[in-house]
Amino acid sequence: MEKYEKLEKVGEGTYGKVYKAQDKATGQIVALKKTRLEMDEEGIPPTALREISLLQLLSRSIYIVRLLNVEQVQKNGKPLLYLVFEYLETDLKKFIDSHRRGPNPRPIPSPVIQSFLFQLCKGVAHCHSHGVLHRDLKPQNLLVDKEKGILKIADLGLGRAFTVPLKSYTHEIVTLWYRAPEVLLGTTHYSTGVDMWSVGCIFAEMTRRQALFPGDSELQQLLHIFRLLGTPNEEIWPGVSSLRDWHEYPQWKPQNLARAVPALEPEGVDLLSKMLQYDPANRISAKDAMEHPYFDSLDKSQF
Amino acid sequence: MEFDLDNPLTSSDDEQQFEGSILALFAAESNYMISTAGTIDLNTRRDAVSLVLQAHFDRNLDPFIAYLAINYIDRFLSKREIPQGKPWIVRLLSISCLALASKMKKSSFALVDFQGEEGFIFDAQTIRRMELLVLGVLDWRMRTITPFSFLRFFISFFSPAQPPLLQALKSHATQILLKAPNDIKMLEFKPSVLAAAALLSAAYELFPVQFPAFRAAVSSCEFVDKAKVWECSSAMCDAAAAATDICDDTTPMSSDTPVTVLGLHCSSSESEPAVRSSSDGRDMKKRRVSSEHRSL
Repeated sequence: MEKYEKLEKVGEGTYGKVYKAQDKATGQIVALKKTRLEMDEEGIPPTALREISLLQLLSRSIYIVRLLNVEQVQKNGKPLLYLVFEYLETDLKKFIDSHRRGPNPRPIPSPVIQSFLFQLCKGVAHCHSHGVLHRDLKPQNLLVDKEKGILKIADLGLGRAFTVPLKSYTHEIVTLWYRAPEVLLGTTHYSTGVDMWSVGCIFAEMTRRQALFPGDSELQQLLHIFRLLGTPNEEIWPGVSSLRDWHEYPQWKPQNLARAVPALEPEGVDLLSKMLQYDPANRISAKDAMEHPYFDSLDKSQF
Repeated sequence: MEFDLDNPLTSSDDEQQFEGSILALFAAESNYMISTAGTIDLNTRRDAVSLVLQAHFDRNLDPFIAYLAINYIDRFLSKREIPQGKPWIVRLLSISCLALASKMKKSSFALVDFQGEEGFIFDAQTIRRMELLVLGVLDWRMRTITPFSFLRFFISFFSPAQPPLLQALKSHATQILLKAPNDIKMLEFKPSVLAAAALLSAAYELFPVQFPAFRAAVSSCEFVDKAKVWECSSAMCDAAAAATDICDDTTPMSSDTPVTVLGLHCSSSESEPAVRSSSDGRDMKKRRVSSEHRSL
């Protein structure tokens, strides 16, 4: 680790602290992510080996944050692993915030939203074609290069060996805002639909500049969703009432989704509604989303 | 998550996803090729590979683990040179690659199984450091795309699609592929090419009637470089014949050049393959004999 000089703590990833650091030899700015993966008597733990090599495989896509290196450090006599990622100056949360408040509040231009959403779908499709679910997509996990207009998915991979935590290891509450209803209702079967729900929430948030479903508990989160999309039932979502955490809820009728995203054009609302389908089996896939008419006006050749 | 050589991209069984991932496999396979196979020191390689094969033989190791370990060794040796006259480094490399391959395959692995008897004993820290060195040199790209990743795809060209036939075809092709890394020439071929050539060899031996249609179907596949598949098939045939030379003294070697499954003379440069029937079935016999002798 003497190769890198830590510059500042830049955030809490889902799985640990993230530092901005500089490669002393090349001057390259990188993100250092400490893992809880310890080396033991048997050498590198098999889980770490499989997860990190998967991360390495996925990070070949330019829509996934690139894993540059893996470093070993001695901490209290125990070797720990650090992951070294490419560094991007900002994330989508900060990007949205900068358009909502500060000196110059303004909507995010719709071509930017279109381009970011397309890149997000492309990255998610890449993960899904490799059989990997992200399971914790949120604006903080999407890194942005403002100058180049590039968006990349971060904090990926290491999620499979661990369940998505309710609290991060620093006891910071993990946000529920992007969590799919089947996850909130305690499904045991995760599918690619959990990520597409998050993509829909992020899409809506870019146009609204505020979260679509800002719940502060699992119940509140569900009620936010039900109030907008209607309380689900067996008819629109077969099997919902058998999910582990299903209860009787107040009955709401579905609202007009377009009113929740007034700045979004009709094709965008249509795509959003396909991402926010209750039944995960009916939710649009990332690959199909990329073919949706909403992207017709986008020059896809640049991606 | 488990690493499956049949399915390195861990895609689900979903057909649509399988299609997407097979494209990803063809796109990515070259990344796992060794472009500088010529720089590998052959003596070092031979020693390292024979240590792996010995471990495989002694411990009844999963053959896929041995295959993967040899892949790691080849990729390591193509990037790093091991100083001459230091057999312990070669041994350390073999043990570390076996350890990594076992962990990737989620197989229980005990270091004690692999050391001690021949006089070199490495402590856990040394092996750990070597593991990290290997990981660094290989850039942590341990989910190697191997020929096994392409078997399912190419088998789909075989007709009739009856599960017992397909299973027999796959398992015979697997046996052929497991022997391939013994021969360094095989490093020149893409994993998909090796897979296609092995399946064609297997089909030729097991299902001669269906073979021509299968060969035609595989050749029509847009991802396949036909010439490379014929060339690979020849090389496999050469390797099998060479193995017969060594292993099978009882079979008098004919002076004819051996015939590949595609009907090419191994040494010929004909580009239009035509199936030639094997008049006395000796080629088939040779192959069987050699497969018994050289089960990796």
